[in-house]
Amino acid sequence: MASHAEKKLTPSRILIYATLLLACVAYLIPVFIMIITSFKTTGDIRSGNLMSFPEVWSVDAWIKAWSSACTGVQCNGVSGFFWNSIKMAVPAVLISTALGAINGYVLAKWRFRGSDIFFSLLLFGCFLPFQVILLPMAATLGKMGLANTTTGLVIVHVVYGVAFTTLFFRNFYVGVPDALIKAARLDGAGFVTIFVRILLPMSVPIIMVCIIWQFTQIWNDFLFGVVFASGDSQPITVGLNNLVNTSTGVKEYNVDMAAAMIAALPTLVVYVLAGKYFIRGLTSGAVKG
Amino acid sequence: MAQLQLKGIRKTYGNAVQETLKGIDINIESGEFLILVGPSGCGKSTLMNSIAGLETVTEGSILIDGRDVTHAEPKDRDIAMVFQSYALYPTMTVRENIAFGLKIRRMPKEEIDAEVARVAKLLQIEPLLDRKPSQLSGGQQQRVAMGRALARRPKLYLFDEPLSNLDAKLRVEMRTEIKRLHQRLGTTIVYVTHDQIEAMTLADRIAVIKDGELLQLGSPKEIYERPSCRYVASFIGSPAMSFIPLKVERDGGNLRASLRSADDDQMYVPLPEKLAAYEGKEIHLGIRPEHITQPLAHKAGQEATSSGKFRIEVTEPTGPDVMALIRINDTEVHCRLDPDHTVDPGEPAELMIDLSRAIYFEAGKEARIDV
Amino acid sequence: MAHSGVVSETTSQPARGRLTQRLQQWLPKLALAPTAAMALVGIYGFMFWTGVLSFTGSTFLPSYEFVGFDQYVRLFGNARWLTACTNLAIFGFLFIFCCLAIGCFLAILLDQRIRNEGVIRTIYLYPLALSMIVTGTVWQWILNPSLGLEKLMHDWGWTSFQFDWLTNPNMVIYTIVIAAVWQASGFVMALFLAGLRGIDPAIINAARVDGASLPRIYLRIVLPSMRPVFFSSVMVLAHIAIKSFDLVMAMTSGGPGYASDLPAMFMYSFTFTRGQMGLGAASSIMMLAMLLAILVPYLYSELRGQRNG
Repeated sequence: MASHAEKKLTPSRILIYATLLLACVAYLIPVFIMIITSFKTTGDIRSGNLMSFPEVWSVDAWIKAWSSACTGVQCNGVSGFFWNSIKMAVPAVLISTALGAINGYVLAKWRFRGSDIFFSLLLFGCFLPFQVILLPMAATLGKMGLANTTTGLVIVHVVYGVAFTTLFFRNFYVGVPDALIKAARLDGAGFVTIFVRILLPMSVPIIMVCIIWQFTQIWNDFLFGVVFASGDSQPITVGLNNLVNTSTGVKEYNVDMAAAMIAALPTLVVYVLAGKYFIRGLTSGAVKG
Repeated sequence: MAQLQLKGIRKTYGNAVQETLKGIDINIESGEFLILVGPSGCGKSTLMNSIAGLETVTEGSILIDGRDVTHAEPKDRDIAMVFQSYALYPTMTVRENIAFGLKIRRMPKEEIDAEVARVAKLLQIEPLLDRKPSQLSGGQQQRVAMGRALARRPKLYLFDEPLSNLDAKLRVEMRTEIKRLHQRLGTTIVYVTHDQIEAMTLADRIAVIKDGELLQLGSPKEIYERPSCRYVASFIGSPAMSFIPLKVERDGGNLRASLRSADDDQMYVPLPEKLAAYEGKEIHLGIRPEHITQPLAHKAGQEATSSGKFRIEVTEPTGPDVMALIRINDTEVHCRLDPDHTVDPGEPAELMIDLSRAIYFEAGKEARIDV
Repeated sequence: MAHSGVVSETTSQPARGRLTQRLQQWLPKLALAPTAAMALVGIYGFMFWTGVLSFTGSTFLPSYEFVGFDQYVRLFGNARWLTACTNLAIFGFLFIFCCLAIGCFLAILLDQRIRNEGVIRTIYLYPLALSMIVTGTVWQWILNPSLGLEKLMHDWGWTSFQFDWLTNPNMVIYTIVIAAVWQASGFVMALFLAGLRGIDPAIINAARVDGASLPRIYLRIVLPSMRPVFFSSVMVLAHIAIKSFDLVMAMTSGGPGYASDLPAMFMYSFTFTRGQMGLGAASSIMMLAMLLAILVPYLYSELRGQRNG
């Protein structure tokens, strides 16, 4: 499709560029507002407007959001929630990626009677409205003594993330020629050796896609966090929501924005550094899902 | 080197109604180069995978050097395979690719190094040893794939259409190379291809397979000259053998048939006496292009040759020959002409038909009439 | 060729060989077992369990006294649930429509050999990396009736400008549409762009040789071939719409009153804050039904398409 337009600047091309640029502005403005507001003082917010720069650039709102803003009854900022999210996301991402890789390997290269049906049944997990499993999951976690713990959250994220990671790896491994597996089998390699020595070394791109996708999903999750965690195990999204929607005192939009920035930064950084993989995950998840 | 016996190999996939392999029996002698040839989907790759142990057979047994390996794992069969896609491990260097199978078999490191060096020298890939497969050309990858197979010194080599991903020139080169290697090492090779020229040039024996059945097993010469059935006759040879319908008549003491050109010129050709049973019936005459030529002095007057005038419909110069299309008994027939004697399309030409190598088929039947 | 003893170990010990062979056969199934167990329990078992709960009179704690379809009857007699469903219809339709229109439009523009295409694409897609809670927080601030957009317009000289959708029960659902479209339209753009890149340039060249104009080429050749992309986009967007919970929670908490409630919000508050577990379960089963209502026809047409080649 890219072959027919010339690179000369005709009026129609200027129009195209202008439209694209306008869209860029539209997409960027909310984060721009978020950033400048987070550096304003409370007075600044009253006297200025959305698009005005801070009179004085102040990091007070950030400090307050991090360590002393009220998130309900407690006033310790979102730092605790932030660490909770890390403690939850890292193991959940690693476990679900590892499981996905093994599942994908089996489903693509060691198919057996019923494995395709299993895959279809698992894929439904990608579409499941999670509301439909919240109650039994809460009851089960309670029975296991894992209610309101980070471990519990990790389990939940692994259970419902593994459908996606399996999909990623399975589709990737389907693209690996079967002849490679045959060659390895004739060379004497078995199930484990083929996976570890042949497939894993070629899986770096899909591992990246998977880790980034899972990290983004798990870090940004709110539903599981708000239902299955409480107090000292709640993730950052719950912390942010509590902070923003705490009705006590005057609303401090600069603190809200700083807290939102803190919640957004990890995934934004990942996106900026490895956007390529993020987009690939998005599109492959959607098209094949 | 080893002997391979395939006894009554049958294979049915899952719940499929149709059998993929319908009882294949082949004995492959030690050091023999056997080529499995057939159209795509004929079951030749399934047979290959079954020999390798990558697929299980439904019935029958596979013996290597007399040992029953029907249910053995691929790694326990002592077989190496060269794949159409080469199947080189992309993350390993050429050296690691060749050494992989040896490492898994716990060969001591010095022996592995020596073996890699030997194979690399044999295939002249020494300068490539530290490269990754993606840095190699198709021909180089092909050599490495062969090197990987050679390194294990297995009892049996399987080649699964190894040349079909190469361009035409390289294919011819590698063909020669494989033939030279086989002559030098005397290895037992089973080689799958759908390219009949590869089959003719490389094989000690050719097995023609169609729809899971072994149609004919024989030397290239046998397959070419005495094809067992119409399918084999048309599959091997390019341009293909022509089949001319004709009626067996008796003229005095001899059997003969009339051939009619597009211009309604009649000529009579003598038929062998063994066709007597078909007198008055229609049969099909199978004849290869090289047996319809311009009149050749050394063949003139022989019993099986006869001449007539035929209008040339199309000519296709190939360099050494001119392939031409004529029409006999309302059937298109290929013939091979000498490029030095120009013939013009649309013009009639005097042609000589040599029936000494011709074969005959009952109308509507596959099998050849034995004459 | 002389024979070295490379492979003799395995063949000399048939008993051990057979054992490892059997293990090799079981390993793949063994490797899938944990996931199979998780999926069986976590997806299908729990789905069934919720289904059972929806036929009980459970309140704060699960009870297994069955009340038939009572909860469903109550659900559809509940004004708040009906509002939530109406809202979902409005939100879902506008959200899907706007995302498709904007995404498709931007994708076509971006496919015109644009310089810095990578940078622009990155900008269009970054909202997807954000949590819905963050998006909700930001848009809540931007659309704030006193200090947000309204004040900005006043400051910029448009003093009669009024924008109170966030607190206006009739308009509040549209604010959620705005935020959701901002977040997800880039995604549709990426899908369409990938689709456009998948079109064989020879087809376009053939059409140009035939004398078709660029808009005509897009209308008659390119867009029709985007059908699969279109359907999978609708599928994913509808899925997002039905599951939408975080965004509403962060922007309006379902308010004012319950004017911006969506089914997911309804389910959460009835189940976890109001102690109406049976009703909540029934509402979640209805959400599942909605999803299946889109998913099943989609998969059906997909599979049929595959079978027809």
